[in-house]
Amino acid sequence: MKIESVRSLRGPNLWSNQAVLEVMASFDGIPDLPHARRVARRALELQQAVGFSVSFCDARPVSERQCRLLVQYTEEDVAKRALELAFSHPLSTPVSEVGELPTLKALAEEVRLGPSTGSIVRAAERRGIPARRLTSGSLVQFGMGSRMRRIWAAETDSTSAVAEAIAQDKDLTKTLLAAIGVPVPEGQVCATAEQAWAAALAIGLPVAVKPRKGNQGKGVSTALTTREAVITAFEIAVAHDGETIVERHLNGADHRLLVIGDRLVAAARREPPSVTGDGKATIGELVAKENQNPLRGDDHSTSLSKLRLDAIGLEHLAEHGLTPASVPAAGQTVWLRRNANLSTGGSATDVTDTVHPEVAARAIEAARMVGLDVAGIDIVATRIDQPLEVTRGAIVEVNAAPGLRMHLEPSSGKGRAVGEAIVDMMFSPGDDARIPIVAVTGTNGKTTTTRCIAHILARSGLRVGMTCTDGIYVEGRRIDTGDCSGPKSARAVLGHPRVDAAVLETARGGILREGLGFDLCDVAVVTNVGEGDHLGLNGIDEIRDLARVKAVPVRAVSARGAAVLNADDPLVVEMATQCRGTVVYFSRNPSSPVLIQHRAAGGTVVTVIDGQLAIARGRHVTPVGRIDQLPLTVGGRVGFQIDNLLASVAAAHWLGLPIEAIRTGVRSFTSDIASAPGRFNVLTHHGSTIVLDYGHNSSALLALNEALAKFPHKRRKVVYTAAGDRRDFDIRRQAELLAGFFDEIYIYEDQCTRGRVDGEIIRLMREGFVSSSRSPRVLQAPGEMAAIGAAIARIEPGDLLLCQVDQVEEALAFVSGMLRQAETSSRPLAQMTAHFAAALMVVFGGIGGA
Amino acid sequence: MQIRKVFDLNGPNIWSNRPAIEAWVDLGHFEELPTNKLPGFTERLMAQLPSLLEHRCSIGERGGFLQRLETGTWLGHVLEHVTLELHSLAYSPLGFGRARETLEYGVYKVVVRAEDAGFAQLCMRSARELILATVDGRPFDLDAELKRLRIEGGRRCLGPGTKAIVDAAQARGIPHLRLTDGNLVQLGYGKAQRRIWTAESDRTSAVAESIAQDKDLTRRMLAAAGVPVPLGRAVTSASDAWLAAQELGEPVVVKPIDGNQGRAVSIRLDTEDAIRQAYELAAKEDRHGAVGSGSGVIVERFVPGRHHRVLVVGEQAIASVRGEADVLTGDGSSSIRQLVEQANLDPRRGEDDTWVLTKIELGPIALELLRRQGLTLDSVPDPGQEVLIQHHGDLTVDETDELHPEVAAMCVLAAQTIGLDIAGMDVVAQDIGLPLAEQGGAVIEVNASPGLLAHLKPLVGKPRPVGEAIVNQLFPAGELGRVPLVAVSGTRGRVEVTQLVARGLALSGHQVARADSTGLYLGERLLRPGTAADAAGARRALMNPSASAAVIEVSELGTLEAGLAFDLCQIAIVTSTMGAEQVARPGVEDRTAIDKAIRAPIDVVMPDGFGVLNADDPVVVAMAEKCTGHVVWFGLGEVEITPMQRHIAAGGSALVRLGSQLFWWERGQKSPPISAAPLTESTPGHAVEPVMAAAAALLAVGVSPARLEEFLNSSVC
Repeated sequence: MKIESVRSLRGPNLWSNQAVLEVMASFDGIPDLPHARRVARRALELQQAVGFSVSFCDARPVSERQCRLLVQYTEEDVAKRALELAFSHPLSTPVSEVGELPTLKALAEEVRLGPSTGSIVRAAERRGIPARRLTSGSLVQFGMGSRMRRIWAAETDSTSAVAEAIAQDKDLTKTLLAAIGVPVPEGQVCATAEQAWAAALAIGLPVAVKPRKGNQGKGVSTALTTREAVITAFEIAVAHDGETIVERHLNGADHRLLVIGDRLVAAARREPPSVTGDGKATIGELVAKENQNPLRGDDHSTSLSKLRLDAIGLEHLAEHGLTPASVPAAGQTVWLRRNANLSTGGSATDVTDTVHPEVAARAIEAARMVGLDVAGIDIVATRIDQPLEVTRGAIVEVNAAPGLRMHLEPSSGKGRAVGEAIVDMMFSPGDDARIPIVAVTGTNGKTTTTRCIAHILARSGLRVGMTCTDGIYVEGRRIDTGDCSGPKSARAVLGHPRVDAAVLETARGGILREGLGFDLCDVAVVTNVGEGDHLGLNGIDEIRDLARVKAVPVRAVSARGAAVLNADDPLVVEMATQCRGTVVYFSRNPSSPVLIQHRAAGGTVVTVIDGQLAIARGRHVTPVGRIDQLPLTVGGRVGFQIDNLLASVAAAHWLGLPIEAIRTGVRSFTSDIASAPGRFNVLTHHGSTIVLDYGHNSSALLALNEALAKFPHKRRKVVYTAAGDRRDFDIRRQAELLAGFFDEIYIYEDQCTRGRVDGEIIRLMREGFVSSSRSPRVLQAPGEMAAIGAAIARIEPGDLLLCQVDQVEEALAFVSGMLRQAETSSRPLAQMTAHFAAALMVVFGGIGGA
Repeated sequence: MQIRKVFDLNGPNIWSNRPAIEAWVDLGHFEELPTNKLPGFTERLMAQLPSLLEHRCSIGERGGFLQRLETGTWLGHVLEHVTLELHSLAYSPLGFGRARETLEYGVYKVVVRAEDAGFAQLCMRSARELILATVDGRPFDLDAELKRLRIEGGRRCLGPGTKAIVDAAQARGIPHLRLTDGNLVQLGYGKAQRRIWTAESDRTSAVAESIAQDKDLTRRMLAAAGVPVPLGRAVTSASDAWLAAQELGEPVVVKPIDGNQGRAVSIRLDTEDAIRQAYELAAKEDRHGAVGSGSGVIVERFVPGRHHRVLVVGEQAIASVRGEADVLTGDGSSSIRQLVEQANLDPRRGEDDTWVLTKIELGPIALELLRRQGLTLDSVPDPGQEVLIQHHGDLTVDETDELHPEVAAMCVLAAQTIGLDIAGMDVVAQDIGLPLAEQGGAVIEVNASPGLLAHLKPLVGKPRPVGEAIVNQLFPAGELGRVPLVAVSGTRGRVEVTQLVARGLALSGHQVARADSTGLYLGERLLRPGTAADAAGARRALMNPSASAAVIEVSELGTLEAGLAFDLCQIAIVTSTMGAEQVARPGVEDRTAIDKAIRAPIDVVMPDGFGVLNADDPVVVAMAEKCTGHVVWFGLGEVEITPMQRHIAAGGSALVRLGSQLFWWERGQKSPPISAAPLTESTPGHAVEPVMAAAAALLAVGVSPARLEEFLNSSVC
């Protein structure tokens, strides 16, 4: 079996609501689905073995020779590597003995979040707060839109840069702390070694010497009692930073107190790395032996780090007259360095429960004085269960962005919920930092519905982010152009700092390619499945397959959300069973059995009652507005626009918008060229009517025909082409519908025929025209503008011309430009556009030539 | 002439309500030699410092000080004026000075206002040298001295941006405390405080700053939010840089991911060689390597246009300046090297961002630019020939009024996207008056802690009120950053009053910081033992971020030697001036100075605040007229005794004791008697005074008489 393609579905998708790899694989010989399942399971187990909690995998047949493997993942790179290993290694080897496991583990360590960041992200996710990494590092964004917050490791976005700068300056920190009576070791800044010694004498020995700015204990020397020691220590410190502090040496153990907000969340007693002698082994041997301890690792994933006998360690030993070859007596503790940092092999014991309340109060005050929301307070004291005044202990340092590992997984004692504490500080109880999300999907009417919902929300005062096939809009400003109905655009809106609510057109392509761009939504609108579109693409051959794709947003509706479903489309109605939240149905027909049944069960529906668009729940009916007075319906004539309004009202209602806002919204929503280009824009010219629309599938044609029938006209004409990537069947079907509805048809082949050879689309359409019972005149033009131009050249009073626009902006500019010219100049329209008509060729039917 | 001692009066003092230094100057034999008896002194001094002509002095007109010199004045007075003038020439003008005799023969107190006490002292010492040299007719290198002072001023005083913010705060009545000798400043007191460090506020997010440091991440985030940015990407090697350039389309810009101030940024590159070289240069400059991956260098499509800097504060684009390309014009005889040297002689050019113009550096980027023009450093351009030396020169032209609202909105969005409350946006566009999208302009960088000088002192156009904008961002309209501050002064019973007032305020829910001679407290907790009844103690109380109110004991000597630690107070209480003469320093001053020191807090009562005065002490009574707030009197005397009676009759407030009962008149309205059991007819006056003073203060801040009665009976024994 071999891999043909791998696709990462990052959001809820056809197969799962989790991120999965979708793998197309082909069998070498006899199809063996059970084997494929075992391979998928192995890929899952390998991920589990390196520490990811993933649980879903499957293998499903695609064809005789092909199957589809599905493997849940957390980190894409790791999952892909695990997948390769699962394919290339015999499944008989136990997972733990797969040779590449350590490499996979290393990769996992490299890409996964560090322990501090990871703990915060997990805590957020447990509260239902979405998290998204912005870089491969530790920068994570929580929540969405205007509710978003960020962290970078243990810094939050409200960690003050000024406070960090203060914490960096130990002398300034001490001055500030002393001002509020927090015990600090008295000391002074020294510029020369001699000054340092003089200061040491003034302060009283023993003293500590450290760089004024610095971190991780670099360049710090403590317990100095002699002139030589002070001078050496000064030189070491000065090498780290120009300014050096001499201060009173404090007796006792190093403690780290973690203050989050105004709470002491955790405390640890820290010890420098040490070995204990057995009377036989050398220090070097003892270190090597201790490093065998499985708790000691090379990275931040284990609770202890490996011991190191590096230059600092050797120097420290030498100060005590030892070398790595010395043999300590049995039971003798040899400290390998002074510094108790975990990263250099130190250990941490949780002492949270023993911290004296007075000590905790001082630590909290220290954090507040420096101005940090998350602070690691270093305290040296003989005991932490007595006030500092009693132990003569002191706060020696305040650290911004403190490491959390020692509190999460102390070497001994209980781990503390520090990630939770940070999340609880950032988000008040019940706040999941989400903004309302409406996802709109379906075969027809997605864009208009999306725009309409966005319009209603914006009218109610929300700053709306919207994605649709025309671009991305935030607060009405277009920030991206082109087809933006995919997950990438959705993520852009959800990551935009000004967005209070998102309305996302969610098209089929993106769902298949990447899954959804969000994990949950509040409302999923499904306009219809109809006769479908894009069938035969991406393995979606059947209308039922398409319905499953369109149901993905419905499956992502949160328990408190709702699916807004078209009651007239049986495939859409079926989706109700997949919705965790509520269902709101809409239909123009108030006596639709689905509506009646739903209302009877106390459900909400949106429909038309006595000419009024109305929200009905059980017996209670709330009118929203007279259908024929809502501009989008063009006097109540355009049925599919009524459907779009119903769906929009249902969505807005479910989001809890006041009825007045909804009323104003639908009454002011129009579909003119400026606000909704290519969405049933109606233009008139000397007794003829021109409708511009983007519809390009059979369901759209059916709906358009229904609407056009309500416009007074003598003749119906259309400009149309079919997209080359649709099935032959669909192209023929569209032509057949056109022939049934129109008297004159202008066709052309798109510049980009999407994989078809020249002339093929025209040929297929001709086959469709032939199979129709009617035989309208069919004329071919060399391109879209040529076809539109020719149709307009031949327009006569009483004509109703539908132009299906593909190059939307260009076509709209072209049409409105021509009409404007005809209004202002004396030349008749036909004369201006005669050259277009000259290029026409008769394709089919009709009487007489072009 | 010796300067014996200098006191740094860091707050309101007996001379003025602004910080000053007070020097004790012993004139020695010059006490016998006023200026009219020093031959040629006045002429020489005026020749050295002609601007002294502007000093009006006590005469009150231009040339006033010159008249004093001519008619004869003492060198202490001359020292005052020369100090002010040197400060003015080297750094910034100062308004205030005084020279007064002491009780000791030939010894003067010379006082000058000071922004930074240390710097004012340096100016005074230079002034002394100058005067002595002038007396002797010795040469004095004034230019060298001013240059030295200018550097010291730049180092010790607040930087121009910080000063603009502090000045704006002061103008709004928001107090400040410098927390370091640098630019870290606390605005406001206690719980209401905010902090700034140059153009960073305490709400400037450290995470946002890290994001802004990473130009590749910044660019991606801005692009996602819809802010126009140049196309580009991070690259991993010189070859990758060239590859990226081809993908993006030349010309390109090559720059370090976390560089600063345009360092190692090469622009408009179109050849492989130039791009590779620019890569190496940028790779060297990058300090930490990229946050993501790669070498820490990015390649972007070159955006043509001028360089603009838009300052965003909160939700507003406050100011915009632009830079013109740096062009040297040939004279036909100087080489480019010489032309650069000449340009760098411009006194407005300096090494760092405290100068409006920076010195032209002939680094690799400038050399490459010359090479592309077919020139070297030794080329001699023709007269009038223009040589481009830097694409984006210093930001010197204010264009705030031209800023298009769309561009402003994009800059605000960019700041919000990164998460900065104060940010400088580097924008490249032909015309800042047109939307960016129309002209292919782009935001090329986001800067945290932006320099403000270019907006404060543009070479062309109007200065912009950026300090005001930042202060308004920190303190919404109506907020002054103040907490109730009660200062207790007087010769008797200060500690008792301080403690009582603090406890009284605590009863109404305040977390009170108290500084008195028994220590520094927050609530009942002793923060620091030892006296805090000095400027240092008061300062600490006001620095405490937990304090919602402060009660501060003010000692006369503390005021004389260090001034007050606060600029204004809500309530100043004066207990008594009895025995003030004993505090006066022998040979230096008499009782008047001490009375002034006792009065100092009364001088700085806020207009809606209260001066609480002992009506039984005539000296204290006289202080009423110096009080800019309301006056509240307390006294043991009979109501009939004037001036209390007149005060009450005029609608004033007062607390009067009759036996063990207290009567409170609030704006002339009498409340029911308050019975204070601990006070009886026989309680001696000195024990009653503090209780009365504290009670009057508490009533003044709105504690109800009933509540006060309860408080007094429970806490006074």
